[in-house]
Amino acid sequence: MRDDAPSRVELLQGTLDLLILRTLRAGPAHGHAIAKHIQRTSEDLLQVETGSLYPALHRLEAKGWIAPSWELSSKGKRARFYRLTPLGRRQLAAERAKWDTFCAAMAMVLNPVDEEA
Amino acid sequence: MSSFLRKLLWLARRSDREAELREELQFHLEEEAEERERDGLAADDARWAARRELGSLAVVAEDTRAAWGWTWLEQFARDAAYGLRQVRRNPSFSGIVIATLALGIGGMTAMFSAFDAVLVRPLPYADADRLVMIWDDMTGERRSGHAPAPAEWLEWRRHQTVFTDLAATQPADATLSGDGEAEQVPARKATASLWSVLGVKPLISRVFREEEDEKGVPVAVISHGLWQRRYGGSPDVVGRKISVNDSPYEVVGVLPREFYFMPARDIDIWMPASFPGWMRRNFTWHDAQVVARLKPGVTLDRAQESMAALSRQVTAKDFRGPHSVAVKPLRGEMAGRTRTALIVLLCASAALLMVACVNLANLLMSRGTARGREVAVRVALGAGRGRLVAQFLTETLVLAALGAMAGAALALPAMRFLETLVPETMGTVRLTLDGRVLAFSAAVAVAVALTAGLLPALQGSRISPQDGLREGGRGTTGSSRNWLQHSLILVELALAVVLLTSGGLLLQTFERLANTDLGLRAERLLTFEMPLFRYDDFPRRVAFVNTQLERIRAVPGVLEAGAISRMPLTPADQATFYLLPGQTEADTPGQVALFRMVTRGYFSTIGARLREGRFFEASDQRSASPAAVVNEAFANRNYPGRSPLGERLKFGQLDEEGYWYTIVGVVERLREVTIAEEPRPAVYLLHEQTDQYQTKGARPSWIVIRTAGEPAAIVPAVRQAIRSGDKNQPIWRVETLEELVDRQLSTPRQTTALMSAFALLALLLASLGIYGVLSYAVGQRTNEIGVRMALGASSGQILLSFGKRGLALTLSGLAIGLGLAAIASRSMSALLYGFRPDYVATVTVVSLVLLAVSAMACLVPARRASRVDPVVALRSE
Repeated sequence: MRDDAPSRVELLQGTLDLLILRTLRAGPAHGHAIAKHIQRTSEDLLQVETGSLYPALHRLEAKGWIAPSWELSSKGKRARFYRLTPLGRRQLAAERAKWDTFCAAMAMVLNPVDEEA
Repeated sequence: MSSFLRKLLWLARRSDREAELREELQFHLEEEAEERERDGLAADDARWAARRELGSLAVVAEDTRAAWGWTWLEQFARDAAYGLRQVRRNPSFSGIVIATLALGIGGMTAMFSAFDAVLVRPLPYADADRLVMIWDDMTGERRSGHAPAPAEWLEWRRHQTVFTDLAATQPADATLSGDGEAEQVPARKATASLWSVLGVKPLISRVFREEEDEKGVPVAVISHGLWQRRYGGSPDVVGRKISVNDSPYEVVGVLPREFYFMPARDIDIWMPASFPGWMRRNFTWHDAQVVARLKPGVTLDRAQESMAALSRQVTAKDFRGPHSVAVKPLRGEMAGRTRTALIVLLCASAALLMVACVNLANLLMSRGTARGREVAVRVALGAGRGRLVAQFLTETLVLAALGAMAGAALALPAMRFLETLVPETMGTVRLTLDGRVLAFSAAVAVAVALTAGLLPALQGSRISPQDGLREGGRGTTGSSRNWLQHSLILVELALAVVLLTSGGLLLQTFERLANTDLGLRAERLLTFEMPLFRYDDFPRRVAFVNTQLERIRAVPGVLEAGAISRMPLTPADQATFYLLPGQTEADTPGQVALFRMVTRGYFSTIGARLREGRFFEASDQRSASPAAVVNEAFANRNYPGRSPLGERLKFGQLDEEGYWYTIVGVVERLREVTIAEEPRPAVYLLHEQTDQYQTKGARPSWIVIRTAGEPAAIVPAVRQAIRSGDKNQPIWRVETLEELVDRQLSTPRQTTALMSAFALLALLLASLGIYGVLSYAVGQRTNEIGVRMALGASSGQILLSFGKRGLALTLSGLAIGLGLAAIASRSMSALLYGFRPDYVATVTVVSLVLLAVSAMACLVPARRASRVDPVVALRSE
């Protein structure tokens, strides 16, 4: 069913962590909201698999980059919210810098300036 | 550290975490469903869509839990608990598996403990791996056993470059008297360098010094055992004068409890060697043992080369001609033949364990198929292959652990038996299940679980849920599994054949040893030594020996008594060179014969047999032409094809003044040195006619007594008789000849018994293996058999088709096994004591036994197959 969406991109290995951290910079959110946010902001190009989202969240938590707390959702239900820790903020900056370098490098290889188009 | 604490806390709050995780995922599902409802789906459809999107809830939870860390430990604990439940649920299966493993692991554990104690653990010397023994190499085969001369040791010590130092020891006798009952104790003379070479520190006071050795100061170092036994463990024994062979010796020190040194563990008194002047120059007097410490950086090979070259220069003066030396690591010399025995038995126990493993693998594979449905359900619920393999392996590990525990219980009695295998040259050993042995056993259990469990785990986890869940489906079938099981059976059979063949060869060797004609009647023959150090004077000695023998003969129950200078079957050289008429010393280097000094009644007492001529008689008195009895080996070597009677030989003193002895009799094959060794040329002289030998130390001190009844019963009376002649006359090493023979046979007997036990167990397991695989095949193919029978196959044909399969397996296993056995038997040649066992007979018997056993193992399932009722079989589908 999902497979017939034509223009969806597979998440690159290791990028989910960066996306989660970036999403949480806007403020605390629960798992479902994080997934939807990523999906919406990428205009449905990125689909977060629940099967990898929760393991990733718990992994980031174990590393101390995000911290959980039980709070009420907008609809008044108890939900597990995650927020960015100071450690996570630093990690986000580092990951972000790495990602930018990576993109720039990819771009240089894919669009060399001295090559005729 | 903090992450460790955090994990610990998590572990403590695990159930909370589980609940939280469930709630978190539940919340996600609800959100997702709500969202889909908003998109226009019906409430139910929205819920299902959300579920589908999430995938298997269990898998997501599992993967998430994995992020917590330590899940492997929890999983392991859960699998182990599940494994234990399985054990309880299938008591017969588990019982068989655990018993099989207990035999395998127990055998290996016990063998390892003995191997470790004799061949691995440090000897009680400093840096014992650098210690070597040096022997004269008379054969060029670098064999040990030929004693160097003290004169050689002196020359070596002066000129060698490869050792930090060398020490020599010599046999000695010690009668302790004066301070209590006269007692003969094992003693040895040693050069003062022995203590520094071995790096041994005394427990009390000091050892003797170089200058005491050189000047011949009468000092002694005593063993811990003697100190406790005779001197009550009192520290003021140091400085005390004790009477050794009626001379005062000052005790200067006590050795530590764990100290012992070649050639026997029980030496009680060490005295300075103080070689007399004549011995320092005499290259013909060979009675020393030499131990040396390699210099740092010097290899064994280099020491061997360097010493061989030196020895050839030094021994030009030896009557046996220039010869090389053999430099051997001390531990190997101490362990002797036991080393080979232990290695062979350790390998045999490993082979048995391997058979047990293969059996287990087969059993697990059969069971894996039976559990196909369970596995299929788990796969359908989202269990990954790795997870399944881990679970199967954990279950096998539980079985292996239980097997190892039962094995440890079995190993304990086996260890008591193995302790007696430790050679007399080494300290006594108390084998226990200590940390090392338990660690080994645990490692073996893990290895067993991995080797036996991996294949079945991989097989068992390769199930697709569709096939596994289908009604009536048979899970895995197919030829790859059959092929695998068949090769496992082949391994098992081949190993069993190797063990059986090795056992057969050892058994044959032992039979030969035990039935060797010793040339005497061993039953009811009491022997002991009566040291004669007080009787240097020849006429006094003759008189004393004769009166003592008369006293012994007067004891009720004594039939006959005699004396000899060296007890038969005691492995020690007492040899001298001889000349035949017309020969000179120069023509005949190395012409040596064993010689023994006997009393007149000796041969008749031991029941020796005469080939021709006569034994010594009353008419043999002191004369210028004394009589000699020779053995068959001597006669055959010097007088091939003719009678030696009346021939003359010069013996002992070879110069003009020496006597010519006349051969009056030839004794049939009398074993002097060991049971296994073919008799060497030997000459027997009558004590009363050997006045030429008075300085050479050979005395007829070994008494042999033929008794009417049980020999042990008359020992007190004999002691009494001896004391009545001289109350300070000790006797020792009292035993019957049968006990002496028994002692010589103990190593081959134990080795044979263990090897046979391993072989029979392997045979049993292998036959169980064949039986299991065929039974399983019959069970699997009941359907097919039913069809064949319905189509007209006779039960005989069915029987034959299964029987053929078993036979083919057996024959291939036999062929592979015999090939391996040929290789294995070469490595254990030292245990065959120079015999050439009859291979053909062994192989024939082994083949027949294997065929018979496996025929029985095949027949049962094959008959079951032939009795399948086609109606029942087809209905069962």
